[in-house]
Amino acid sequence: MSDVNAGGPDNELGAFIADPELAGMFIADAADHLGTIEATLLKLEKSPSDLKLVNDIFRPFHTVKGNAGVLGIASIEEFAHKIETLLDLARSGKHAIGPAEIDLVLKTVDLLKLIIEELPARAAGQPVTDTSARRRELMARVDELISGTTPPPSNKAGFTTPPPPPASNGEGDRGKGPSVRDEQSTVKVDTKKLDNLVDMVGELVIAQAILAEDPAIAGATDDRLTRRLAHVRRITSDLQRDTMAMRMMPIRQTFQKMARLARDLARKFEKPCSLTLIGEDTELDRKVVEHLTDPLMHMVRNAIDHGIEPPAERQAAGKPIAAEIRLRAFHRAGFIVVEIADDGGGLDTERILAKGKSQGLVPDDAELDPADIHQLIFQPGFSTASQVTELSGRGVGMDVVRRNIEALRGRIDIHTERGKGTTFSIQLPLTLAIVDGILLGVGSDRFVIPTFAVQESFRPTPAQVQTLQGQVCMVQVRDRLYPLLHLGEVFNIAGARKRISEGTVIICHESGRVVALAVDELLGKQEVVIKSLGEMFRNIRGIAGGAILGDGRIGLILDTGGLLSLVGKTTSQVAA
Amino acid sequence: MIGAVNQGKSVIETMLAVEAGGANGATSGSGGKFLTFTLGNEEYGVPVLKVREIIKVMDITQVPQVPDYVLGVINLRGKVIPVIDLRRKFGFAAMEHTERTCIIVADVDLPSMRVMMGVVVDSVQEVLNVTESEIEETPEFGGRATTAYLLGLAKVKDSVKILLDLDRVLGSDGQLGTRAV
Repeated sequence: MSDVNAGGPDNELGAFIADPELAGMFIADAADHLGTIEATLLKLEKSPSDLKLVNDIFRPFHTVKGNAGVLGIASIEEFAHKIETLLDLARSGKHAIGPAEIDLVLKTVDLLKLIIEELPARAAGQPVTDTSARRRELMARVDELISGTTPPPSNKAGFTTPPPPPASNGEGDRGKGPSVRDEQSTVKVDTKKLDNLVDMVGELVIAQAILAEDPAIAGATDDRLTRRLAHVRRITSDLQRDTMAMRMMPIRQTFQKMARLARDLARKFEKPCSLTLIGEDTELDRKVVEHLTDPLMHMVRNAIDHGIEPPAERQAAGKPIAAEIRLRAFHRAGFIVVEIADDGGGLDTERILAKGKSQGLVPDDAELDPADIHQLIFQPGFSTASQVTELSGRGVGMDVVRRNIEALRGRIDIHTERGKGTTFSIQLPLTLAIVDGILLGVGSDRFVIPTFAVQESFRPTPAQVQTLQGQVCMVQVRDRLYPLLHLGEVFNIAGARKRISEGTVIICHESGRVVALAVDELLGKQEVVIKSLGEMFRNIRGIAGGAILGDGRIGLILDTGGLLSLVGKTTSQVAA
Repeated sequence: MIGAVNQGKSVIETMLAVEAGGANGATSGSGGKFLTFTLGNEEYGVPVLKVREIIKVMDITQVPQVPDYVLGVINLRGKVIPVIDLRRKFGFAAMEHTERTCIIVADVDLPSMRVMMGVVVDSVQEVLNVTESEIEETPEFGGRATTAYLLGLAKVKDSVKILLDLDRVLGSDGQLGTRAV
């Protein structure tokens, strides 16, 4: 329990509990502001004499303090006030900003984030982290810094402040971005309402497409009717673009988190490096941005821990001692690409192969080309870190990254050159709301499988279907055998074809694993809006959601990963 | 015969009554307005405030790996909602749907959230005003009948209506599919 309620009930949270809406706004606002402060601090670290940056930190800080005051949360207000004193002196030029000050304010931001995140738990009477000691320590540091009795900061020897990034990346100008943007007039809308709107617009787009393809209209020769329909189509697609844009947010915040992480890790591993951010304004679907943070963090860690060589090695190789990591986001051919590139040693192909063999991931006599070898790092349990460190080398790295990215319907590629560095590039869809699917029929049921998961489809000959102890289990495609799943049987669908050679087999893949799906027929391609089936059906394996089809019925959207887990469950009444 | 039900009211009239009930059907104590319906020979009632609308049985998409009383999902004007067969849930013999079979769309409060669900019943009857004095405590039956689902029994116009607590009836189905295939 924190100190404020040590003496009894948590009396400073009275207003917070009484007005949940205000409380929610306070938390969201504070998170925004603290994020801005953190990002600005990192810039200030590079140009400590820029008083404008100090001001950009002071203002949101003051706002957070003020809001906490309005809600009567005295412990936050008091703490923030003390730190603000230091910032106030700094912005009026009476106190010079150095590494110690930056460190102090960064720690303050971390602590405030923690305290504010835990407010709802505290309000609910749950135990929370006791921050009083850390608060007191930081407040005492302020006094020390102001009075000038500064003990040497905890700055580790070996860390050098990264050099300012080259002017060409435009970061200097963009640095002023966030504070300007804050002043734009915006409305806060519940994300649920927004998701609903996007859903409905998605339905409208599909309904419009179905209408346009209706034989009665497609064959119409009336010019006026065609013109009016074209008008509706234009409005619909404008509406779709604009609503989609509402769900989009710039990747900036995520990138800024990486900047902070890189700074901390560079110190920790004593590998000086600078992180360059390019394309922070690139907009992605809100959900994609949220789910991209963890994989990116993992990859930044990897880049610094494994990718970048120790300074001595870099020097010996004639490279600048400070390494460069580049995060870049951009559009390419209807996709968003996020790249993370380091100028480190590149992937060690031989070592990866040796590791793969010792882990039993590849046969000892296998001959793989480099690209295949590099793919090994995405295998579960693979880790080349010879020594387990706190942040990497636990062997749960890149396979999790790939899974997360595939969950966003994206893909990840590697480009690496020995001695020059490694680039990971992540390709993501523009939106998660609509998926391009293939419509399947089994009995009278309809299913949708996302097109990106499908490799090929064909009608197998009985000879291609392999049985094991009389049960159908595998299908052979060009010398390879794939596990076979009869959809009608695993889902117990009445009227499904029992003979696999009379239906269609679809080869689908997920996370490098492949499964062959036996269905009755392929009905065509269709874009569908993905709808959740709701809480009730959350744990149904093999089903990712539902989609409303052209005739108003619901088609279930298949989840390849879940289907893979169903392989081998049943097969008894099906014949080749 | 289509739409004509026991008290000679049409489904439309009942639906209008449901909407009116939503406006002023606030319950005081355990009394209030109930939408009544039949399952086999039994008559049931649910608080009208929980009811969103009554629809005819439409095309239901089956969902795999669920108990047999979960019929699947329907498309209610762009929303995907689950549908439960109350007959099977209560252990009645399954019956072919007739033109009087209806889906009652209701709000169900799960422990974590409120969701919309559809409940298939044999036929919808009327919206009934039940006073607190007409409701009798659920007697202990023992044996097979589960009383946890019940709000009470109402004796109205010489017939007994079984008043259901929908949250309890459907709440346990809040999350399915955890069982193995």
